[in-house]
Amino acid sequence: MSLLAQYFVTGIATGSFLILATIGFSLTRQVEGFLNIAHAELLGVSAFITWGLNVLAGWPLLPSAAVAIVVTSVFGLVIARAVYDPIKKLGPAVLLITSVGVAYVIGGGVDAVVGTGIRTLDIPLATTYKFYGLRITNYQLMVIALAALTAVTLALFLNKTSTGLAIRAVAANPELAASRGVDVRKTSRATWLISSGLAGLAGVMLAMIATLSTDIAFHQILKILAVAILAGLGSLYSVILSGLIVGVAMDMSVYWIPAGYRPLIAFAIVIIVLLFRPQGLSGRKAA
Amino acid sequence: MNFEALLVAVLTFGCLFSVLTLSLNLQYARGGMINFGTVAYFAVGAYAYAIVTQEPPSGLDQYLIGLNGPWWLGFLVAGAGAAGFAILTGWPTLRLRGEYLALTTFAFAEVLHSFLLNERGIGNGSVGLANVERPGISWADVPDSYVFAAAALLLMLATIIVYRRILASPYGRAMDAVRDDEMAAEAVGKDVARMRFEVFVISAVPIGFAGALYAMITTLVSPDLFTAEVTFFVWIALVLGGERTMLGAVLGTIVLVTFQEVVRGIPFETVRSAQIAASVEHMLTGAIFVIILRWQIFERISIARSQPA
Repeated sequence: MSLLAQYFVTGIATGSFLILATIGFSLTRQVEGFLNIAHAELLGVSAFITWGLNVLAGWPLLPSAAVAIVVTSVFGLVIARAVYDPIKKLGPAVLLITSVGVAYVIGGGVDAVVGTGIRTLDIPLATTYKFYGLRITNYQLMVIALAALTAVTLALFLNKTSTGLAIRAVAANPELAASRGVDVRKTSRATWLISSGLAGLAGVMLAMIATLSTDIAFHQILKILAVAILAGLGSLYSVILSGLIVGVAMDMSVYWIPAGYRPLIAFAIVIIVLLFRPQGLSGRKAA
Repeated sequence: MNFEALLVAVLTFGCLFSVLTLSLNLQYARGGMINFGTVAYFAVGAYAYAIVTQEPPSGLDQYLIGLNGPWWLGFLVAGAGAAGFAILTGWPTLRLRGEYLALTTFAFAEVLHSFLLNERGIGNGSVGLANVERPGISWADVPDSYVFAAAALLLMLATIIVYRRILASPYGRAMDAVRDDEMAAEAVGKDVARMRFEVFVISAVPIGFAGALYAMITTLVSPDLFTAEVTFFVWIALVLGGERTMLGAVLGTIVLVTFQEVVRGIPFETVRSAQIAASVEHMLTGAIFVIILRWQIFERISIARSQPA
């Protein structure tokens, strides 16, 4: 029983990471209207920039992470302006397929620069805390705290600031927003900066809690898709709940089925949700 | 690099993967279905062939079934297996559209991959099945590689002929009608859902055959060979050749295979430089793909052609 509870706690940490990784993806889906498969590759870019500055250049973790997040954020915007914006009129299917190509370019680039092998950041080993027999590391706690903080900040941003309100207006109805004087292009740029920045933050978290190899980004997109679909594509708040559900389900499944099937849980969720409740948890009607 | 070997490899794998591209072309350009799980049907074909033809398990083998059947039976079962898997996956998913269909088919392919990896009873798990039986066809002095190149070419030609016949028939025109205007097609009495399903299953059969041929050529099936990478490869080939025509699908595949074989053929001094070359090959493939979609090169050519000079 306590083992099961332990898996539950680990699942919460996994889920919190998935929330961070998925929020940016869902924000893009909501505002830009397509599934950006290359989003996960941005996690990889950020993780390896952090690693490069921290391990190769010997910087402390915090400045390395900050630089990585900013660079990733700008990088995401540049890709959007160069690749996605000009073909927006061709529809979400073409954008989706194009983003696979973009993922190839980024993934290949990271591979070429970094090379194969397993890497870790130059940070102190995790300290383990014990509560009632349940173990949790300080890095896991940090991921949970950051996920909560990000969710609250994003909610405040989307509800209280003018840019945030503009983003929501464009997401709901681009034509109407434009006719009411919302600068759609500026809003789109802000969205790309924020969603790529969130991918950057998730990438830093990934570098801290996992060992890095260059194929790590591809494995994240599978889970990100699962979380986004369970939440209902394009809804943000249900990402929090669905991220936790997927994380906990994946980690707790190890209790009953072989660990090799852990990634499968995410996909079983995708298939079941799409077949029986395509609108996801949010209940909003799917397009 | 031995030029002759390169040519044979390009011909073999170009024709083999063309079968996949052609099927995808039928599903996407004619049926309007985005199948992001192409590799699954290919893998089913390859595993079906291996399981039917291999000897019963012995020694360290962990697989459970080996029928030791003749190669032609394995080949037929491969096609039937792929069709069966298409029925299994297509029946619940095809009412989904666009990106939702893409995601579900992708998810099904990952589920299959996970089963092949974890259920050692199917095909030894991650080790895979080695020494897959090759048909004992040998003509006098013709090397095996030539025979398989010819077989791949034949399979591709057969696929093209069958698809052409289908598309030229009234059924094919009904398909075009569904693609162009689903509502209108439904209004004149076409069962749209049924047609989509039928196209999906029919086009899975050649993919299964190609999987069997692939297993014969490599004499190895393992989960590593059947990743999402294959699906993306076929998609890139399809976009590269322009999704409109069958010839485009074939040319796109052959160009892409040639590119890969040439890069692989370059001798490298160190492991690191070979690895960089592989990554750069990846980047270039992706970049070409993005550029073609970005400037809609094939749309422009076809528009330019259709306008009277």
